[in-house]
Amino acid sequence: MEPEQEVGVSIKQPNPGKKGKERYSKLYRKFIFLTLICSLVPLFLVGWGSYAYYSGFSKIRIMDYFKNQVEHHREIIELFLRERTSDLQLVILTHSPDSLQNPENLRRIFRIMNQGSSFFTDLGLIDDKGNHSAYIGPYALMDKNYSQAFWFKEVMNKGIYISDMFTGFRNAPHFIIAVTRIEGNRKWILRASIDTEYFRSLVENVKIGATGEVYLSNQKGILQTTPRFSGKIMEKAPLPVDFFSEENGIGIYEADNKDPNRRFPRQLVAYTWLENPRWKLVVRQDYSEAFRDANQANRAALIFLHLSLLIILVISVISTRYMIKIIKKGDEETDLLNKQLVQAGKFASLGELSAGVAHEINNPLAIILTESQVMRDTIAEVPSLSLSDEVKTELIASLSQTESQVRRCSLITQNLLKFSRRNKSQRETVNLNAFLEEVIRFMDGKAKGAGIRFALDLKKDIPSFRSDPSLLQQVFINLINNAVDAHEGKPYGTISIGTRTDSRRHGVEITVGDTGSGISPENMEKIFNPFFTTKAVGKGTGLGLSITYSTIKGLGGDISVRSTTGKGTQFNIFLPFSPPDNAHENREEVITPPRSSI
Amino acid sequence: MKRPRILLVDDEVAFANNLLKLLSKRGYDAVVVYNGADAVNMVGEKEFDVIILDMKMPGMDGIATLKEIKKKVPLVEVVILTGHGSIESGIEGMQLGAFDFLMKPVSIDDLQEKVSEAYRRKLIQRERE
Repeated sequence: MEPEQEVGVSIKQPNPGKKGKERYSKLYRKFIFLTLICSLVPLFLVGWGSYAYYSGFSKIRIMDYFKNQVEHHREIIELFLRERTSDLQLVILTHSPDSLQNPENLRRIFRIMNQGSSFFTDLGLIDDKGNHSAYIGPYALMDKNYSQAFWFKEVMNKGIYISDMFTGFRNAPHFIIAVTRIEGNRKWILRASIDTEYFRSLVENVKIGATGEVYLSNQKGILQTTPRFSGKIMEKAPLPVDFFSEENGIGIYEADNKDPNRRFPRQLVAYTWLENPRWKLVVRQDYSEAFRDANQANRAALIFLHLSLLIILVISVISTRYMIKIIKKGDEETDLLNKQLVQAGKFASLGELSAGVAHEINNPLAIILTESQVMRDTIAEVPSLSLSDEVKTELIASLSQTESQVRRCSLITQNLLKFSRRNKSQRETVNLNAFLEEVIRFMDGKAKGAGIRFALDLKKDIPSFRSDPSLLQQVFINLINNAVDAHEGKPYGTISIGTRTDSRRHGVEITVGDTGSGISPENMEKIFNPFFTTKAVGKGTGLGLSITYSTIKGLGGDISVRSTTGKGTQFNIFLPFSPPDNAHENREEVITPPRSSI
Repeated sequence: MKRPRILLVDDEVAFANNLLKLLSKRGYDAVVVYNGADAVNMVGEKEFDVIILDMKMPGMDGIATLKEIKKKVPLVEVVILTGHGSIESGIEGMQLGAFDFLMKPVSIDDLQEKVSEAYRRKLIQRERE
């Protein structure tokens, strides 16, 4: 029988080759593509969908808030103007023009009106000719006649009038509130100018971020207050009139290149009209600042989205690699298994061939043997006179030689038959110690040649048990072969083989140890891997221990190894007394040694 | 002890004839046939103590011949002589009632010994009856 290592030379390492590599990389690309499609498309849909939805949503919310702010501010300004108008109405309706003409009275009233805050700059009573009857204030306006002033006509018509900002006699921007009273057949006007600083601070002191500003402009687009950044009171308002298409609203203003206020090229603008006077309240802020928080939140969401994309990409690459590795390993194992099957098939056909040859040779051998015996009989019958004793002896010696050569041939054919029988994988009753001794006898020649002796410690109490002798033979020939090879470079060594019953696990433990070069720790975990070999190219296939391992496992056993570099290696094998059923086994038989044979 | 009557069944004519010569010379009453069918006929015509039967034969093979013979004369002892590698067929033969099996090539001394053993068993069994 051939030891596995030598037979195994014909087994080639599975070579993935160019085609195999291409196949795996194609598979790899396919897997990656599919996982990415499956995971990224929904993520993109959800991510971008919610991003679009929420950015739209937050934009609407911010604009609503902006609009509300401007409405709220308008209410405050209107309330202020209404209160001041009521103040004047209260005064003129509760005091007779006579008492108001008394400067002392008017001063007292002016003081009371400014008690809370200095809302008013001055206060004057004007008759229907436009002349001041009384005046309290810092300006010398007592002798002024207002009959030609625009506001005089308005208030005489409407009874209540709030003017736009104007400079007037005092040459400073201000606006007035005027109310009338009819006393007898005369109309009296109570006129007050609102403190410009106070009013401006009321309107302008709304802090909206770093870029926001608030201002009032009249119907002609003239600023009634000074905005934070663009323009001054009484100048032309920064936004063109045609921008404000509706009564109140909100919009995005894009400044064109001609715009002198290109400080903020894109602005969020909210505006509303005051009822009286017809002033327009404008609140505006740099677009990017207004939406900064929302944009930041959206940007964070986008970052998370892209981060998840990246993570998915990495995970799919890693998992695909892992999968491909598993597939590759599976393929390699299948490949190996196929090769083993081919090998087994070779053995089987070799076995059949040997059986055929043995049979064909046995018959002629049988004839030769019987012929020689017939000749012996004939010689014995020939009278001693016709043949000299010398010739007789020579003939008989020749016949003996013939018979002994026939027996030799017969031994060869018997071994062939034994080999063919062993290649049929089947369970037989094995006397382990005797079996091991037989294997050792087989390997003795090789071991002796390498200066190695066997040290046996075979315990007598091991019962016979059912196993597969042909597989076991392969296993032990492998192990002993490796043990012998491990002594390369050493002049002598020992292979120790021991058996003992393991009653706890109900089986037998076999140790095969050597005094060879040992296995280095980094190789230790790979020794049972297929195609792992440390032997020179062409010497080992790397299949021996892998087959050994799978054989032992297949027989329901276990194999482990301990090794010290430079000192030697020991394999521990456990075989159960009752191995699992062999699925490939189709017939069972008990091989009893033939009661007689040649 | 009376020499046993032997029937030799083997398709290898040279071998069968040689065995016949050797056995006759040793005082056995031996008859030779070269196939299974003749053997079955022969046991019907003559009485034998031991049959030496080859396994691999053209036409009716050893196992079939053995079955037929055992059907006709259950008490005859059969020694299987096989050049065929398979011990299995030898064992199958023994399960069918053959006395034992020998592997070719066989020396006349071994054969003689086996035939004697078989004959002894036959005598013992006959005495029991």
